[in-house]
Amino acid sequence: MIHKPLVILLADDDDGHAHLIQRNLKRAGVVNRIERVKDGQEALNFVREGKSDAPLLLLLDINMPRVDGVEVLRQLKADPATSSIPVIMLTTTDDPREISRCYQLGCSVYITKPVRYEEFAEALSRLGLFLEIVKLPDPPHATAVPTTSA
Amino acid sequence: MLASISPERLAEILDVAEDGIITVDAQQRIVLFNRGAANLFGYHPSEVLGQPLDLLIPTRFRGTHSDDVKAFAAGPVAARPMGLRRVVTGLRKDGTEFPAEVTICKLVAEGDLLLTAIVRDAVERKKYETALLQLNQELEERVRQRTSELAERNLQLMQKTEENEMFVYSVSHDLRSPLVNLEGFSQELQLAVNDLATLLSDDRIPSDIRSRAKELLSSGIEESVGFIRTAVNRLGRIIDALLRLSRAGRVEYRLQLVDVQLVAQRVVDSLRSTAAAHKAEVVIGTLPPAWGDPDAVEQILANLVSNALKYLDPARPGRVEIGSPPPSADQKTLTYFVRDNGVGIPAAYSTKLFQAFQRLHPDKAPGEGIGLAIVRRVLERLGGTIAVESRAGEGTIFTFTLPAESSRHP
Repeated sequence: MIHKPLVILLADDDDGHAHLIQRNLKRAGVVNRIERVKDGQEALNFVREGKSDAPLLLLLDINMPRVDGVEVLRQLKADPATSSIPVIMLTTTDDPREISRCYQLGCSVYITKPVRYEEFAEALSRLGLFLEIVKLPDPPHATAVPTTSA
Repeated sequence: MLASISPERLAEILDVAEDGIITVDAQQRIVLFNRGAANLFGYHPSEVLGQPLDLLIPTRFRGTHSDDVKAFAAGPVAARPMGLRRVVTGLRKDGTEFPAEVTICKLVAEGDLLLTAIVRDAVERKKYETALLQLNQELEERVRQRTSELAERNLQLMQKTEENEMFVYSVSHDLRSPLVNLEGFSQELQLAVNDLATLLSDDRIPSDIRSRAKELLSSGIEESVGFIRTAVNRLGRIIDALLRLSRAGRVEYRLQLVDVQLVAQRVVDSLRSTAAAHKAEVVIGTLPPAWGDPDAVEQILANLVSNALKYLDPARPGRVEIGSPPPSADQKTLTYFVRDNGVGIPAAYSTKLFQAFQRLHPDKAPGEGIGLAIVRRVLERLGGTIAVESRAGEGTIFTFTLPAESSRHP
């Protein structure tokens, strides 16, 4: 079986937030390709056009213009072709009502910003994704060998 | 006495009076009928002398009136007003009726029983009574109106508060986003500074440049970044506090009978390690159940008890007591208190106590100073009240009330 490395699709309208997330992950040694889109519509387009054919992991900000994270989630879950794509919701708040809205739609994992690596790793393990990272003391060029479960 | 005044003189005296004076004998026959009575009833004395008193009473009242007079005659009292409201109805010669105020007295003269009635037209009095009644009704109507106006105003104020809370909530929510960037990138700056410091320790860099660079790094950049991070931190805490405060007004309550005893135990259990760290003792008395939301009640007790643990006096072992005084007579509210023997609150600060962000001892313990503001808002929503009594250096007691189950509206 040929494993194609996981591509992380990051959907966030705020450049600062997006940069911080990418920096945090890279600093922790994640070398998977991170694709950045700025709103929900772009995220849906990316998923549906399926150019790379590589397995995806979605990091979805809840509050985005045009199509927000919750709507993206809803559409993805509604389509059998995309319903199994793992999704991590990103939120700036721990307001229980927003969280439960997410859960109701079928997202099983959320992280409050800023996204620190530890929380990201925990979220991954909750999604059943196993990411092995070898951390080296110096500027990280860790070898990440991601595998998707089924 | 009567003997010293001649009968003619007596008649003159009686006729001067404006009131009607009527005397009857033991058989209730009229033996004296003065000019006042003549004017009131429209009879000439000669027409009524010897006639039964009943002539002057409307037919429907004659029975009770006659009984009343007999009872009076037989009874021990010498004089009193007649009738339940002292107003009797009189019947004029022309058949018309009028309300009359009557006072009767009895006299035994030469072995004979005489009853004398002083009669006054009570039309004026009736007018006053009617006017008074009307005024009363008007006042009641005005009070009713005013009460509903106040209720309306109350509702408006509550809506205003809710609008404010929504506003605070949405603004605080929006502020979180730039805050993430402030926190994140000030941290990035710190990391870059650290990396730069490491780089500067390289021997290949001439030492004078190295030392100047290090200086610039630490006092120029690092110090600045430090201040920024502290400020951003504080900003974050204030925003979180605002969110919590506005949430206290917005979260939906599920009203039910709350086992306050159980809630208090839960709160104390969760604060066990804090209490131990302060070497304080927390005691729970008997707490009756109340009508409210269990999470809200927990919020109240958690805030009050943790405050008590924060502001203990190092001079003596801390003691916090949660209790309830004996129930009040009205049974509609239940009272609870949280008492401590801590540092107390000076009287000057008691008015600011429940306002948000007012902190008396900012160095003594961490916090943003919204705990009591939340407690007050929660109690307001539950239909309860809160008050505080304190003496600086001795301790503080917070007393709050909650509605009893019996007081709830269907």
